[in-house]
Amino acid sequence: MPGMWWVVGAVVVVGLVATYLIWTAGRVERLQARAESAARALEAHLLRRAAAAAVLAEQRYGVEPYGAARIALDAVPEEREAAENDLTRQLRSVQLDPADPACEAVIAASRRLALARQVHTDLVRDARAARGRPLVRLLRMGHRHPWPRYFDIDDPTLAAPADVTTG
Amino acid sequence: MRIGIVCPYSFDVPGGVQNHVMDLAEALIGLGHEVSVLAPADEDSALPPYVVSAGRAVPLPYNGSVARIAFGPVSTARVRRWITRGDFDVLHVHEPLTPSLSMLAVLSARGPVVATFHTAMTRSRVLSAAQGALQILLERITARIAVSALARKVQVEHMDGGAVEIPNGVTVAKFAGAEPLPGWPGECAPGTDGTIGFLGRFTETRKGFPILREAFVELARERPGLRLLVAGPGDPDDLFDPFPAELRDQVTFLGLVSEPDKARMLRSVHLYVAPNTGGESFGMILTEALAAGTTVVASDLDAFRRVLDGGRAGRLFPTGDPLALRAALAELLDDPDQRAALTACGDQVVAHFDWPVVARRVLEVYAAAIEATDGRVIDQEWVGLG
Repeated sequence: MPGMWWVVGAVVVVGLVATYLIWTAGRVERLQARAESAARALEAHLLRRAAAAAVLAEQRYGVEPYGAARIALDAVPEEREAAENDLTRQLRSVQLDPADPACEAVIAASRRLALARQVHTDLVRDARAARGRPLVRLLRMGHRHPWPRYFDIDDPTLAAPADVTTG
Repeated sequence: MRIGIVCPYSFDVPGGVQNHVMDLAEALIGLGHEVSVLAPADEDSALPPYVVSAGRAVPLPYNGSVARIAFGPVSTARVRRWITRGDFDVLHVHEPLTPSLSMLAVLSARGPVVATFHTAMTRSRVLSAAQGALQILLERITARIAVSALARKVQVEHMDGGAVEIPNGVTVAKFAGAEPLPGWPGECAPGTDGTIGFLGRFTETRKGFPILREAFVELARERPGLRLLVAGPGDPDDLFDPFPAELRDQVTFLGLVSEPDKARMLRSVHLYVAPNTGGESFGMILTEALAAGTTVVASDLDAFRRVLDGGRAGRLFPTGDPLALRAALAELLDDPDQRAALTACGDQVVAHFDWPVVARRVLEVYAAAIEATDGRVIDQEWVGLG
C-alpha cells in the first residue's frame, strides 16, 4: 500500500515543521521578554544615576550638573538619549572624589548603568536578529510586542577602575 | 547570592582558567556568597569542598591543542542535575565556546547566565561551520566578561556583541607575604651587584629570554656580583649553554616552580624582567611581581603598558632592544630610591587587581544579568557590594 507510506511521510513532515515553528515562536518570545526586562532594568539605573547626581549637585556643584540631572529625569523619550549624554558630560567635567560617599554613590550608579547599557544592547541585538528572520516575519511571530529599540548613549563610566590615575 | 560556576577544564591538570575559577570562587566565598563549582575531575582526585566533580575528562584534540574536557549525554545529565539541585541565582560559565561542560550548562540553563571569555580565540572551525548553532548558544548568555582587551576585541569584532573587560585577579596577600629563598636577594651595592629574575619558557622566542641574556652578559662584565634567577619549564643545558662559561656561576636555575615557590622566587630578586616580544594579552606575571613588591622592567607592549600604568608602576624599555634593557637595569640597580618609587606606585596599581576587588566587579555583572532577566534592580547591599 504505497498510499499509506505517503500519508505517514506527510504526517512526519508536518510534525517536524510544527515542532520547529513552536520552538521558533518560543525562542522569539523568550528573547523579546528578555529585551523588555533589560529595558526596564536600564530605565531603573538611569533614574538612579540621575537621582544620585541631583543629590550630589545640590550639595556641592551648583546649577549646571543639577540642571542636567533634572533634565535627564524629566526628558521625553525622544530627547532622553541626548539628555543622558549631557548628564554624563556634566559629571565628567567635575572632579569626583571616590572617598566621599555622595561622589561614590554617583560613581557606583554610573558603573552599574554602564553594565545595564551593555547587557541591554546585547539583548536587544539578539531579539532584533530573531525577529528579523524571514520565517518569523512571514508568520508575524512576536508582532504583539513593539520592535525592540536600542538605547544609544555614550559609555557612562566615570572613573574606570583600570585607570589608575587616582594615586 | 547562590552562584554556580562551571569550569570546562579538569582540575587534575594545572592551567590558567582553572586557577582563575578557583581564585574567583574563593574570593566570592570570602565575600559571603554560596558558591558551587562544577568541573571535570577524576574520581579519586582531592578537590576543594566547593567543587563538584562532573566525572572524568577525556583528552580531545581541539583548536590546535589537547583539551581535557567532558562532553556527551552522561555529562549533560550531570550538568542538568547540578543546575536543578543548586537552585542558583546566577550561572557563571567559563569559555562556553569550547564543546565542554560550559557549553552544556549554557544550553541547559534557564535563568541569568554570565560567560567569561579567557582566550582571544576567534571563531573555531567547528562553530563557524554552524553559525546558527553559535547564535543559539550566544543568545542564551545574558552578560559577557572578557579578561583582556584582546579577548574583548574578539568579542566585539567576531561574536557580534559587547563584553565587560574585567582583568584576571591576583591574590596579593599570597605574594606580599612570601618568604624569599635563603640567601636571596642579597646585597645591591651600586656598581657591583644585584639580582635579576625571569620566569617562563626561556626557549620560546616570544618570551624574549635571549634579549635579557644579552643584556645580562654585557652588564655582568661590569658588575661582578650580578646574579640571574631563572624559573620555568625547560632543559638546563638549553639555558646555560649560550652563556659564556665564566658567567654560568652567576646564573641560578630553579626549573618548573609551584605557585607558592613562584611567589618566593619573585620576592627573591631586586628586578623582575619581562622581555617579551609579543603575544601577551594581559601580563599576569607582571601583576604577580608587583604584588610581591618587586620592581618590574618590561618591554613596551600594549598589555604591559596598561598593567604598569604607562610606566609609572614599572620601567618600560623598547621591545626587543637589549642595549636599552641593559641601561635600564644598570640605572635601576644603582638607584634604590627610584626602585622604591616604582614599587610604591606598583602597590597602588596591584590593589585594583586584588581578587576581592575583582570579585566585586564580577558581582556587579551578576547583578546586571539578574536584573536583565527579571527587570528588577538589585540593591547594593543584597549583592554584597556595599
